[in-house]
Amino acid sequence: MTVYETDVPGVGRKFEYELDGEDRLVVLIHHDGKREVFRRPSEDADGTKLFELNDKQAREFGTILEGAYFQPVDLDSVDVPLGESIIEWTDLPAGSSLEGESLRDAEIRQRTGTSVIAVQRDDETVANPGSEFELRAGDILVTLGTRDEQQALDDLLAA
Amino acid sequence: MAGEILIEVGIALTALAIGGALAVRVNQSVIPMYIVAGILVGPNVPTALGPIPLTLVENHEFIDVLAELGVVFLLFFLGLEFNIERLVEGWNKLVGIGTVDFVLNFGVGIAIGFAFGFTLIETLFVAGIVYISSSAVITKSLIDRGWIANPESEAILGTLVFEDILIAVYLAVLSAVALGGGGLDEAAISVGIAFAFLGGLTLLAWYGTEYVERAFTVDSDELFLLRVLGVTTLVAGGALALGVSEAVAAFFVGTAFSTTGHTHRIETVVAPARDLFAAVFFFSIGLTTDVTVIAGVAALLAVAVVATTLTKLASGTAGGFLYGLNRRRSLRVGVGLVPRGEFSLVIAALATSVGTGALGTTIPAFAVGYVLLMSILGTTLMGYADSLTAYSGEVSLSGSS
Repeated sequence: MTVYETDVPGVGRKFEYELDGEDRLVVLIHHDGKREVFRRPSEDADGTKLFELNDKQAREFGTILEGAYFQPVDLDSVDVPLGESIIEWTDLPAGSSLEGESLRDAEIRQRTGTSVIAVQRDDETVANPGSEFELRAGDILVTLGTRDEQQALDDLLAA
Repeated sequence: MAGEILIEVGIALTALAIGGALAVRVNQSVIPMYIVAGILVGPNVPTALGPIPLTLVENHEFIDVLAELGVVFLLFFLGLEFNIERLVEGWNKLVGIGTVDFVLNFGVGIAIGFAFGFTLIETLFVAGIVYISSSAVITKSLIDRGWIANPESEAILGTLVFEDILIAVYLAVLSAVALGGGGLDEAAISVGIAFAFLGGLTLLAWYGTEYVERAFTVDSDELFLLRVLGVTTLVAGGALALGVSEAVAAFFVGTAFSTTGHTHRIETVVAPARDLFAAVFFFSIGLTTDVTVIAGVAALLAVAVVATTLTKLASGTAGGFLYGLNRRRSLRVGVGLVPRGEFSLVIAALATSVGTGALGTTIPAFAVGYVLLMSILGTTLMGYADSLTAYSGEVSLSGSS
């Protein structure tokens, strides 16, 4: 990876970032924070302007590109309607003791404390499945419970 | 009385605001429109539009002061953005392109000056006015047209850097000679004083980086702005009192800042003040311009516009080849360097301040007419060059939009 950096007097700085081959992204950072991004497909081609962002947008967008984007949350105002409970997605592995059981017979709530609020099967999500619902290998159980209860479910499914 | 002055200032600033808005709308540089605004509301022709009187703003002292600050800070920023490392690094490429640019364009200016019967000093003024390209107009156009992402922008900006250092030396010598007046001895003495003073400033700029760094470290933007404005204006004023070009002094103060960590802050905090002063400078040029005098130099203007457009095209294109660019890009370098602007007017303002013979009337009027034509012609040519030299190969991404 090569980055070429040059001064643009009175404007700011220019960075050229080499993509594959001759393809280059050209980023012009203005003194006022504005970023203009161009792309030049080859040495002979003309740069085409792709987009421009202000300083704040560019920083936020940069974290997305970096893969580190998160929305900072004010911890004092966070409201946890679930109390200690969390929602987990757990795979039902082939060969599990629960395979082929209906929800009633599986007695998941009694044995682990977690409640099954939905089951994802292939592309489908069955919300609030009834007691007759039969579990199959490959199902993903969406359950509500405390961390300990979720751990108990993990252990049960693996058994 | 105070009320009248306030109204005049209000009219001046409003005229600038309207002129600037119009310029942006038609994708032109603001500089010619600021001058036109000054011509329109100033004391010279046109004096009335039907029943509406158009002599709204007199050329008051406060306009002169602000305009003078405009010159000082235009050059201060030129110094600030002047990058000695870039000049040294790219020297091998820049010296070729810069020399061709200087020899052709300054040379044709000298030829035009003598052909129209000007004296040696007057001819040097004409040559300077037609030689120097406009950093402001060109940089704006490079960004507007997207050329900034292409290799030709390197050659264009490199040439401008070379011109910057030459114009600093040129202004120092010319103002010493022109303001010193009299015989060869006096001229030699004032050139000597100029170079001693500027040499001192250069040494300070070179060795005083740490001191400047510390002296200007302050939390408040307001205090920072005042310090920069205060010191720069004081040094420029001191220079002028010694008969040294205030503009060149400001240039060296700018270079003293260019190696410190304050550069970025100056660009954000001080640039708005520069923009205001510079706008008033262009406006005041318009105020003092008598359009009838411009009409009187029509022949000179016509010859200069045609000849210097061609020489800039030629020198820029040749420079592009020296820079190792292909034909299409080299031609763009030539076209890109055609606009003239603020620095030609700075030279004209120096001519006005000398004020003897043709320097008092003809040359400033010529400079105004020339800059009006060349800034607009240059920007327009860049639009045409865009389509004439457009890349005709496969274009990804932009093709779909």
